Amino acid sequence: MALFEADGRLHHIAIKRGDVGRYVLLPGDPERVELIARRFDDPRFVASHREYVTWTGSLDGVEVSCTSTGIGCPSTAIAVEELAAAGADTFIRVGTSGAMQRDIRTGDIGIISGAIRDEGTSRHYLPLEYPAVADIDVTVALREGARKVGRRFHVGIAQSKDSFYGQHEPERMPIAAELGRRWDAWVAGGAICSEMEAAALFIVASTLRVRAGGVMLIFQNLDHRSPTAEERAAVDVERVIDAAIAGLRELIADDRARAASAGTAGVAATLGGGRAAS
Amino acid sequence: MTDDLQHHIALSRGDVGRYVLLPGDPGRCERIARRFDDAHLVAKNREYETWTGTLNGVQVSVTSTGIGCPSAAIAVEELVRCGADTFIRVGTAGGMQPGMQTGDLAIVTAAIRDEGTTSHYLPMEFPAIADLDVVLALREAARRTDVRSREGVSQSKDSFYGEIEPGRMPIAPALRERWDAWIGGGAICSEMEAAAIFIIASILRLRAGGVMACVGNPTMTPEEAAATMAAFTLDPVIDTAVEALRVLIERDGAPARA
Repeated sequence: MALFEADGRLHHIAIKRGDVGRYVLLPGDPERVELIARRFDDPRFVASHREYVTWTGSLDGVEVSCTSTGIGCPSTAIAVEELAAAGADTFIRVGTSGAMQRDIRTGDIGIISGAIRDEGTSRHYLPLEYPAVADIDVTVALREGARKVGRRFHVGIAQSKDSFYGQHEPERMPIAAELGRRWDAWVAGGAICSEMEAAALFIVASTLRVRAGGVMLIFQNLDHRSPTAEERAAVDVERVIDAAIAGLRELIADDRARAASAGTAGVAATLGGGRAAS
Repeated sequence: MTDDLQHHIALSRGDVGRYVLLPGDPGRCERIARRFDDAHLVAKNREYETWTGTLNGVQVSVTSTGIGCPSAAIAVEELVRCGADTFIRVGTAGGMQPGMQTGDLAIVTAAIRDEGTTSHYLPMEFPAIADLDVVLALREAARRTDVRSREGVSQSKDSFYGEIEPGRMPIAPALRERWDAWIGGGAICSEMEAAAIFIIASILRLRAGGVMACVGNPTMTPEEAAATMAAFTLDPVIDTAVEALRVLIERDGAPARA
């Protein structure tokens, strides 16, 4: 169980049980939280502590929240653990990432179906053989959301790394050769984008039997050239927020439909992937 | 036409459709193929038996992989060279979550790489993941066949007896600890081929998924699990896998959505 303070606030994210909805959007940057929450109905600031800023509002009549994770899997794992303790059970990471395939263009949307566990946090939870996989229902809703906003999108695997500069300036690292070989392997495996939080989000979510997914704005910089004016215009972060909000609305509608048919469709339909009927 | 004859599966381009069902047991191929129209035996070599027929007028096949990721990897590699690009593993598995019943279907969304083959392809950090559209087709198929199902992660192991008789292995504590970790992570079933099929599909940019008929659950003793087998039949999982091919054929043939 997550660590609560005497005043009922969670130790790191400084919110109380009930301060958030079951649906939480997770950007990395605390400064993006208000930007995202302004898309909710009746958004209100809940708390700010360390890198964790939380706002809550509603969408289509359902309480929803947005909490920043900070950069990296260590702080993301803490955010997810404490948000789940506060009552959340569905998480959507929203952020930016670098392209890992040539046919992906700056401004494209990436829907993360699974993550490469190229980080240190998730192995404190499960051996490395275990896949960091997104929830199917969340992924389907995000794909439909991306379709609805009319953006070019890709569904696939993200690299979740612990070192930003190890990716962007590998040549100056003492283990440059190894970084290069591993990057090439991820690309050959079909990974679509590189970011820093999804693996911990997915693995922690699996162990807590909660749902998680991710939607990314992708920057194409594989050839290290300067972006064109069109590309610069395309990197507006509003674009991925549009897709995340559209995806969340799809999910809320899908969950309503599933709850309505739960009596006939059985436990699996309401609990979704991998969650036990215990 | 024999110059591209594949070494292990004994097939050439054109012998199989783009859609291939992958049971482990060669003895199950004919039974599965009988659900196709115009099914005929194409080849049989080692543990690899292949039948081809049609569904909705489209060529489809079934090829056995044998037991384990080493032989499954060979089957997928060679089937791709014969023109296949969409795979559904179909078979039996052990149920891994409390509350699961013998006969429940597990639609595999991803696999634990608890095997030795896939580390010859990609570092262990890389997830073995099923194709989203194949998973959705299997889910739709389970709805149509009205079989109790759930989606989730499968453990793909290399040692059958390491799972069912861990106590007699010299590394018994490690086996038990890891088994408990997989259950803690939410894994729903244990089988022996999905990880290799998914990893190779990722690298070759193909689609793969799997549907397993589950036996027992971890709260049952082996005797209790065995007792549930009296009423067990493979028909629901085979029907669901075949129906999923129909769903994919329908969707692949449909005009692209806006």
